[in-house]
Amino acid sequence: MSVHHPDLHRRVLAGTSLALGAALIITACSGPDQQSVQAEEGFPSRSIDVVVPFAPGGSADGTTRQLVAEAEEACGTSFVIRNETGGAGSVGFRSALDSTPDGYTLGTAAIEMSILEHFGIVDILPERDVQGIIQYSEQPVAIAVPADSPLETFEDLQTSENDRMTVATSGTGSIYHLGFEGMALVAGLEDRLVNAPFDGTASALQAAMGGQTDAVTAGAAELRPFVESGDLRALAVFGDPVDYFPEEVPTLEELGYDWDSTAVLGIYAPAGTPDEHVEFLSDCLDEARQSESFSEYMETTGLNQVHRDAQEFDAFLDEEYDRYGEVVREIGLVE
Amino acid sequence: MSDWLIGLEAIADPLVLLLIVCGVSIGIVVGALPGISATVGVAILLPFTFALEPIQGTMLLLGIYGGAVYAGSIPAILVRAPGTPASAASVDDGNALARQGQADQALKVSVLGSTLGGIIGVILLALLAPVLASFALGFGPAAYFMLALLALTVVAAVSEGRMLKGLISGALGLAIALIGLDTIQGFPRLTGGSPELASGIDYIPVMIGLFAVAEAFLQFENRLGISLKAKGQRFSPGLGWLKKLAPSAILGSVIGFIIGVIPGTGGDIGSFVAYNEAKRAARKDRRNFGHGDIRGLVSAESAKNAGTAGALAPTLTLGIPGDVTSAVLIGAITVHGLQPGPALFDGSPDLVYGIFIGFLVVYLVLLLLGWFGSGLWARMIERVPATYLWPTGIVLAVLGSYSLRSNLFDVMVMLIAAVLGYVMIKGGFPLAPLIIGMILGPIAEEGFRLAMILEGDLSWVLQPLPLVLLLMTVASAGFALRRELRSTAS
Repeated sequence: MSVHHPDLHRRVLAGTSLALGAALIITACSGPDQQSVQAEEGFPSRSIDVVVPFAPGGSADGTTRQLVAEAEEACGTSFVIRNETGGAGSVGFRSALDSTPDGYTLGTAAIEMSILEHFGIVDILPERDVQGIIQYSEQPVAIAVPADSPLETFEDLQTSENDRMTVATSGTGSIYHLGFEGMALVAGLEDRLVNAPFDGTASALQAAMGGQTDAVTAGAAELRPFVESGDLRALAVFGDPVDYFPEEVPTLEELGYDWDSTAVLGIYAPAGTPDEHVEFLSDCLDEARQSESFSEYMETTGLNQVHRDAQEFDAFLDEEYDRYGEVVREIGLVE
Repeated sequence: MSDWLIGLEAIADPLVLLLIVCGVSIGIVVGALPGISATVGVAILLPFTFALEPIQGTMLLLGIYGGAVYAGSIPAILVRAPGTPASAASVDDGNALARQGQADQALKVSVLGSTLGGIIGVILLALLAPVLASFALGFGPAAYFMLALLALTVVAAVSEGRMLKGLISGALGLAIALIGLDTIQGFPRLTGGSPELASGIDYIPVMIGLFAVAEAFLQFENRLGISLKAKGQRFSPGLGWLKKLAPSAILGSVIGFIIGVIPGTGGDIGSFVAYNEAKRAARKDRRNFGHGDIRGLVSAESAKNAGTAGALAPTLTLGIPGDVTSAVLIGAITVHGLQPGPALFDGSPDLVYGIFIGFLVVYLVLLLLGWFGSGLWARMIERVPATYLWPTGIVLAVLGSYSLRSNLFDVMVMLIAAVLGYVMIKGGFPLAPLIIGMILGPIAEEGFRLAMILEGDLSWVLQPLPLVLLLMTVASAGFALRRELRSTAS
């Protein structure tokens, strides 16, 4: 698998002097002659960097820190976390993917890796650039309405006299936005529901609870406290049922629609990382994932543990890339 | 009343008090370093709190929060380099005082203002928490847009006498804020295909370059000329001094608190708005504002720390964070299986009322540490020869802008901003409007476009809250215009 990106050079030209310097170093490290890195005897012999593409304090950051703390023993080395944020994760993804694929630089994966390219924000093709290592969490997207809304069930969205309803999402191109658009397409709601892209999930929830929008889509775990307190009413889950929602909340599958949408968390490496290292990391991170204290952490933060190994996770990111590409084209967000 | 006793009991624990002192001390250090904000300090220590009781962990983080938001003003006053964006409004008056040899007094005004703002803020928070929840929820995109417009009129106050240049500076800030991903449709804007520009230009490296490094450049130029630093004078406060400060401090606290309650805006603009109002309230006697007026300084200082208490209102009552730092705080509370929201008040009064009382204690500790520290910091800066001070400042600026998100691009942005700042100072352009424009531009744009999506037309302008804010904006702009016309006529 090649790690050389032809249009890296184009960007270098457009870039500035500092970016030029940095990009030259990157190109030198992953130049065209270097098809893949040789597997190293006795890997890992030094500490491993993990790039978290989101700010400290969020679920990606918190779970990564907890996972690698458990993994120090299982993997036999220490981990160094770097938060490189910006561009909906694209800055951090790009940084990890441009590093030497020797197993010493990993990144925290989020579903945005399979989405951002469709918007022309960053050139990441999961199939070409990304080597999945492990997925440790997955949570479905769900749609909810304010407690005082006349909408009682999912069907009400389709039959309501109001034929222009606004749905708060955490931003255009986010998983909660595309999960919503995909649902609207299969349920024939694309003309009735309007995306209102807020700046993050917290703002979207605030807007829905304040009655500024008719509905909100967000991760089921993020909706949970407000559904439990009675401020919001969940109408449908876009994936497997979750046990903390009332029993009557259906999944899209139960409603007869073929669409699911989940936010995932995992660890990946740049493509070209030797198979031996990928397998080693996948196994020892899985051991850390199953530890008691990691499971406890995931439970208290309300995140589901759903495991995929290296091959499954890699394939999953590729499939999601194709699925969301179709949604983006159908709703006409990009030409 | 019994809830308050439960809270007091939770705080009256030697370990909690020790953690508060630790938190405030850590906060002062991280806040004083440019680029390392309260958020970073809180996030780094968050995992440590998982092992503590909820109230212990929360108090450690709140100590850092209060300390860091205060301490951003120490470098702003001493070397014109605000440690956090909320301190940018303190640069003009604070540093002018320092140059007149009044660094000690300026630092004491700062710590007094910050403490008072914090305490008034916490009291308002404790009394009004349930009402504030519905206020914060009612604040929709239309109101955000109008609030941003109102705050933009502050540009007039910080550029009095050179209005045109102030407006140019503010427009430049708005233009810089346009770069990056369009938040509504998600396409890259003015990025020239560069992925670094796609994530937008962060205003913190711009602020560091514009204020701290541009100032260092100027100092190099003046190296052989006259020293701007007057001999430092020790300062001891009197009753008249306190009387002069009180009205501006109270006004600043209330304004800072209200703006802090609105999720997502926080203290960064609260301090500018408070400064604007304090200046207007001073009427005829405002000639000295911007040139070392302690009332201007205290209003900005009290507003930024009152904002920390304000930001806790939506955090505790709704579970919706008021700013990035309180988002981390929610993490610290939820990890213990507690959920911020109305249920927290009934279910865990020890935590909620403990936070109220503990946050008061944070500010009392801050008053002690800050008051006795102020003389020390002023003396330290005075002892360092300028030939070492300013190069050190540049090194810190590079480190600070890099550490923000481990990105070399931010360092470059900081250096370009430094050159821009130098040119602007030489040309007589005020710097603050540029930062104000960069902060408010995205809030205004997103608010306007979301309001159009939600309503489909311009009818939102006539909703009560947006309309009130619009009238205030018109009045504020009108006053500024009249003032400017009068001063040019006379």
